[in-house]
Amino acid sequence: MTISNATVPRARRFSLRSRETPLDLTTRIAVVLVVLILGVLIVLPLVNILSSAVSEQGLAVFNSMFSSVNLQVLQNTVVLGVLVGAIGTVIGFLLAYVQVRLEFRGKKLLHLLALLPIVSPPFAVATAVITLFGRSGIITRDLLGITPTLYGLPGLTIVLSLSFFPAAYMNMLGLMRSLDPSLDEAAASIGANKWRTFVTVTLPMLVPGFASSFLLLFVEAIADLANPLVIGGDFTVLSSRAYIAITGEYNVGAGAAYSLVLLLPGLLVFLIQRYWATRKSVVSVTGKPAGRPAVITSIPARIVLLTLSGLLALLIVTIYATVIVGGFVKILGINNEFDLSHYRYVLSGIGSDAMITTTVLALIATPIAGVLGLVIAWLITRKLRRGRGLIDFLGMLGLAVPGTVLGIGYALTFNKPLGFGNVAILPALAGGGAVLGGAIAIVMVYVIRSSPSGQRSGVAALQQIDVAIDEASASLGASGVTTFRKVTLPLIRPALLSGLIYAFARSMTTLSPIIFITTPQTKIMTSQILSEVDAGRFGNAFAYCTILIVIVMSVIGLLNLFVRDSSVPKAAGLSSATIN
Amino acid sequence: MSTTLPTRTEQDAEKPTGELVLRDVEKSFGVGENRVTAVDHINLTVKPGEFVTLLGPSGCGKTTTLRMIAGFESPTSGSVLLDGEDMLRLTPDRRPMAMVFQSYALFPHMTVFDNVAYGLKLRKVPAKQLKEEVGFALASMGLTALADRAPNQLSGGQQQRVALARAMVVKPKVLLFDEPLSNLDAKLRVQMRLEIRRLQRLLGISSVYVTHDQDEAMSLSDRIVVMRSGRIEQVGTPDEIYRTPESVFVADFIGRANFLDVSEASTSSREGHADITVLGQRMSARAHRDAVAAPESVLLVRPEAIHVRRFAEGDDKVAGNHGRVLNAVFYGESVEYEIETEVGTIVAVVSDPVYEEIVPVGDLVGISFDPERAWLLPAAS
Repeated sequence: MTISNATVPRARRFSLRSRETPLDLTTRIAVVLVVLILGVLIVLPLVNILSSAVSEQGLAVFNSMFSSVNLQVLQNTVVLGVLVGAIGTVIGFLLAYVQVRLEFRGKKLLHLLALLPIVSPPFAVATAVITLFGRSGIITRDLLGITPTLYGLPGLTIVLSLSFFPAAYMNMLGLMRSLDPSLDEAAASIGANKWRTFVTVTLPMLVPGFASSFLLLFVEAIADLANPLVIGGDFTVLSSRAYIAITGEYNVGAGAAYSLVLLLPGLLVFLIQRYWATRKSVVSVTGKPAGRPAVITSIPARIVLLTLSGLLALLIVTIYATVIVGGFVKILGINNEFDLSHYRYVLSGIGSDAMITTTVLALIATPIAGVLGLVIAWLITRKLRRGRGLIDFLGMLGLAVPGTVLGIGYALTFNKPLGFGNVAILPALAGGGAVLGGAIAIVMVYVIRSSPSGQRSGVAALQQIDVAIDEASASLGASGVTTFRKVTLPLIRPALLSGLIYAFARSMTTLSPIIFITTPQTKIMTSQILSEVDAGRFGNAFAYCTILIVIVMSVIGLLNLFVRDSSVPKAAGLSSATIN
Repeated sequence: MSTTLPTRTEQDAEKPTGELVLRDVEKSFGVGENRVTAVDHINLTVKPGEFVTLLGPSGCGKTTTLRMIAGFESPTSGSVLLDGEDMLRLTPDRRPMAMVFQSYALFPHMTVFDNVAYGLKLRKVPAKQLKEEVGFALASMGLTALADRAPNQLSGGQQQRVALARAMVVKPKVLLFDEPLSNLDAKLRVQMRLEIRRLQRLLGISSVYVTHDQDEAMSLSDRIVVMRSGRIEQVGTPDEIYRTPESVFVADFIGRANFLDVSEASTSSREGHADITVLGQRMSARAHRDAVAAPESVLLVRPEAIHVRRFAEGDDKVAGNHGRVLNAVFYGESVEYEIETEVGTIVAVVSDPVYEEIVPVGDLVGISFDPERAWLLPAAS
């Protein structure tokens, strides 16, 4: 009793720690490796952005942030984010609702169409929309006889909404499928009609889904760089402003400062989502719905819903048809003569270089990203108690940080040799004199951009597996590694597959971080497309886009063949994971 | 890695092995004011081949105790010894124990055969021997025909048999059971517990079994450990626990109990008895050693020790010797009465009831009991 208050908890804490089951060696090695990799891939670039942003040039930007010019940029960014967030969420909700609550022919096709934008390169939609709906668009001028101005806010809103709505779609689809239909039945059984049930039960349950979809799209929209460059016109947003600062004004500090403003909402949304995920509030995620949601049979409702989603489907089909056809004609809409010159250009020389380099780099990055994401997921769901939140957070940062920010961070960090004092640890990995022409930095960007999807699907899959299964394995004498190899890995194979697919698609189509670090020696398809679009050679861009989509689709097909679970009996209770 | 796995030949040594000792085992969560003690300095020895059940309401620390033995939780202090060897140094996979889980925890991607073979493969048992032993384990569980099925193609009872076979086939020194039958329906539960007991006797493996079901504990155990709020209330054979409970809590938790107020208690001349006044009558009843000294004591009378008869017209009406039937439930082999008396509601069970003698609700009955079948114990503090 003479021990002072202060020392008691301390001694206790120490004794607790010393008696904690010691982490086995493998786990400890894995933790150290993961922390090291994440440190280099994401933490270091962010730290460099931060320190660069508080340099003299950077501070000047912050000081003038509320000057009229910058305020306009800020306002533009927010307006764009809100519009895209709202429209994309509505589209995503409509298609998901139709998918879950309606029976009709071509339902699967609609699902695939809704996912198509995920695997398409950033410019496909933009260039097609210009060709179709621009001042001299096929539909607008030739069919309707109007010449609207697409460049600026209207074009950006359309293009970004169409490009990013799949995220909202997947989100709402997952949520609606997990809703317990007996809630609707309960409302009906006490006298609520269909419409009333929809308004008072279904919609309120979906509020978290609407909110998270909106935020997700908001962040994606304000972080996008590709489309503002192509279709933004005079409408400057933060990401394009940062790009101009760095590539046009050679003012790295200013670029860092602008991108830092972008980083804040991204991180904020990310944290809000994590908070939601841990609260699991309204959503009745029972895992096993009591039955299938009731199918809507009301004829007027069917007509309205099917017409709307049919129009959307038509729009998507038209856009991708434009991309494909556009590569095979001289100038789509002006000279529709069949012509292979675009493919000749793309498939020989520079084009084929870019194609091979991009595919090879993405193929290198994909398994690394998949394994990294999976190991992180394994550590945070199964192995770690302390520090679990931090590693989860660091692992997901690659997704939360806008590509523009990441690119600038990489340029700042890896354009020069990395070291302490005069001792170089890493040679320059990006920029002019980089080893392997900067290919390493590009692979690193691919890895950190896509490992979060592996991590996310890994966590979701691992959480579905009862911990007792791991414990049963341990209790029968299997070490941690053996359990992982023989029990855990086979069970999460579907999740691993979807993680890999997403990683590859994401790597192949990513642009905004890449433009800051590509070098003349290492040509990446997305940045090649950018220069083709910039130069107005839409035909070449269409050809590039088509080839890119074909490559992504074929690799997805191959992955499906390779990683498909073969000899095992039908896994119990593990729903095969979907593409996101 | 596999060299340190428990060798299976140790079972054949002459001296029986599998003596499990828990010494001052404590488990606390949190720090400072939020500190919660889940298991509070438990001492327990499981003798080789013995079947010991940890029994108690949810939150009493029984599962935590089991998981500390298995190695899935680490004690805050204390030690766990198996045949004198410190278990706390070992991770769960190095401990010569096997656990059967409430959720069965079968590997969904493996067939029944592969599930059972899993532990043997880890021990690098030669293929031929492995096939034999798995075959034997499956046969003894009646699973031979299901060897190639996936776990999700089995019924709950079959899944639990696989889980049991999987744990027993590695011949652990200690078998651990975490409420393995709670997901089964009542009839299957009874059948499975007989089967568990039969196999455990056959193999002679020391076992620790966690349950909150007193019937399960009574029918399976050599000894029962009744736990409450992280502490051991009583350790004893099923018979001791039922007939001579240490506390009102144990008496109430195991079986059903009537507690009668006792007004006077003094040491009796008879060994292990006390002279008491209950319901106005002076009698000598079996007594707990502390019951007389306790400031207050109560008399435990089990429902089956209460005699119920129809109340005759001329009978004396003394408080407690009669009452009105509130409820009569016919179970086939017995009738259970709830009887409202002047000293409270009394539960009585009459076994093998004769049809005409089932007393209808609302009728007056006379009740009495044999003091030799009652037990005096200190009142709950």
